[in-house]
Amino acid sequence: MIERLEALGRFGRFAAAVGVRLVTPPWELTAALAQLGILFRRCLLPVLATTTPLGMVMALQGLAIFDLYGAQRLLSPLVSVATFRELSPVLASVLVAAQGGSSFAAELGAMRISEEIDATEVMAIDALRVHVVPRFAAIVLACPLLNFVGSLGGIVGGWISAVLMKGEPSGIYWTNLFLLTQFSDLWGGAIKALVFGAIIGLTACYQGFYATGGAPGVGRAVNDTVVLAATTFIVANYFLTTALFGAIGG
Amino acid sequence: MEVLAQVGAFGQFVARFVRSSLTHPLPVRRTMEEAYRIGVRSLPILLIISTFVGTNLAVQGYNAFLPLGGQSMVGMFVALAGVREMAPIMVASMVAAKAGTEMASQIAVMRIQEQIDALQVMAIDPYWYLVTPRLLGILLVLPALTMISIFVLMAAALGVSVAQLGLSSHEFLVNASNAARPIDLFFCTIKASVFAVVICLVSCFYGFRSGAGATGVGRATNLAVVVSAVVCAVLNYVLSEWLFG
Repeated sequence: MIERLEALGRFGRFAAAVGVRLVTPPWELTAALAQLGILFRRCLLPVLATTTPLGMVMALQGLAIFDLYGAQRLLSPLVSVATFRELSPVLASVLVAAQGGSSFAAELGAMRISEEIDATEVMAIDALRVHVVPRFAAIVLACPLLNFVGSLGGIVGGWISAVLMKGEPSGIYWTNLFLLTQFSDLWGGAIKALVFGAIIGLTACYQGFYATGGAPGVGRAVNDTVVLAATTFIVANYFLTTALFGAIGG
Repeated sequence: MEVLAQVGAFGQFVARFVRSSLTHPLPVRRTMEEAYRIGVRSLPILLIISTFVGTNLAVQGYNAFLPLGGQSMVGMFVALAGVREMAPIMVASMVAAKAGTEMASQIAVMRIQEQIDALQVMAIDPYWYLVTPRLLGILLVLPALTMISIFVLMAAALGVSVAQLGLSSHEFLVNASNAARPIDLFFCTIKASVFAVVICLVSCFYGFRSGAGATGVGRATNLAVVVSAVVCAVLNYVLSEWLFG
């Protein structure tokens, strides 16, 4: 119990130190952009490869319901609302955690184990500023970007399933697509992705930066990153959904 | 080209694994140990996640149907989306993230410390010794974890519908039981078993192929979770189309 509290406190101090360096110059802009590029390329394919099949599944199950009521034209509005609000932010972030977050944790962990981070500090270079902050910023920015790409993947997936496989008319799918979607849905999804990105970034950098115990330690850091980040943001997701899209019934 | 080579290597891995498992006796005791490790250790996290996915599904369904005046359909929405899709894929991705990465990093560490070579020197088949109990263990527990998760998810959704959204619990339960049939639970166990095989074989495969040093172990762990998540998502569509389509 005491150990848990201690870890929580260390995490808080780490988060504060990263936050301070994020808002004060000098910024490592080129490093951050380079990391963002790497991250985006690494995650693009996995994000598309999961949101598209899940968009297809959503259309498949949705059609099963709407067929009962003869309301097939409501399929595409619901697919787009669900994709923008829930499916894409959560899935894109899970994949960023699994692919990007864990690879950053592995990199930082390997640097810690091979004493590269100590070497940086010996040279009086701020290791947090040089190694951690660019990676954190890259993850925070990559999540909304990949969320956007993932949304497109989900909607196209719905189209593939509904139009190509089930023979619904394509025109109706595209015309009704934004019937129920509002700008607040796009914004809400992006804000969610941003918050999830911050959770992933901090968890990954913390786990990697403080990895101990050789190669097994790095493996453990990677493992903990994915599990902790995903659990935290799935819990956060419920509160964000309620806060952003408001659902207090009466 | 590289991807094709990897698919080929994976096929070879699976073939060798199947041959070793069939020619050796069943490792009952170690299977039980693995089942315990995978199942019991993943349970707390799964309980947390199932609860919050359930609450979120209820809010999401309420929001989606509100403009159409169909608030009472929340029960049906949660039952269909939660039981058929969310629970199996969510349990699979969490087990991939927790138990799958653990398998990959354990085997990768054994590979780089030459423990796997040591096993071979002692004439113990590493595929049978390391992979078979893990596969049987995860096959035993993943369907069970999925069932537990479905139960928790539905209970959480019911709680939120009544307490936060102000719907009637009777209506929720009637709607839910009209939408999800008992056979759906059986279909979920089929999905879970397929995901279990994918997660275990992919994770062990990347563990066996691990490169040298801490970087290699990190990379193997990373690939294990991403590849198994993507393959599960794609197979999920195929299975949904086949079982519910």
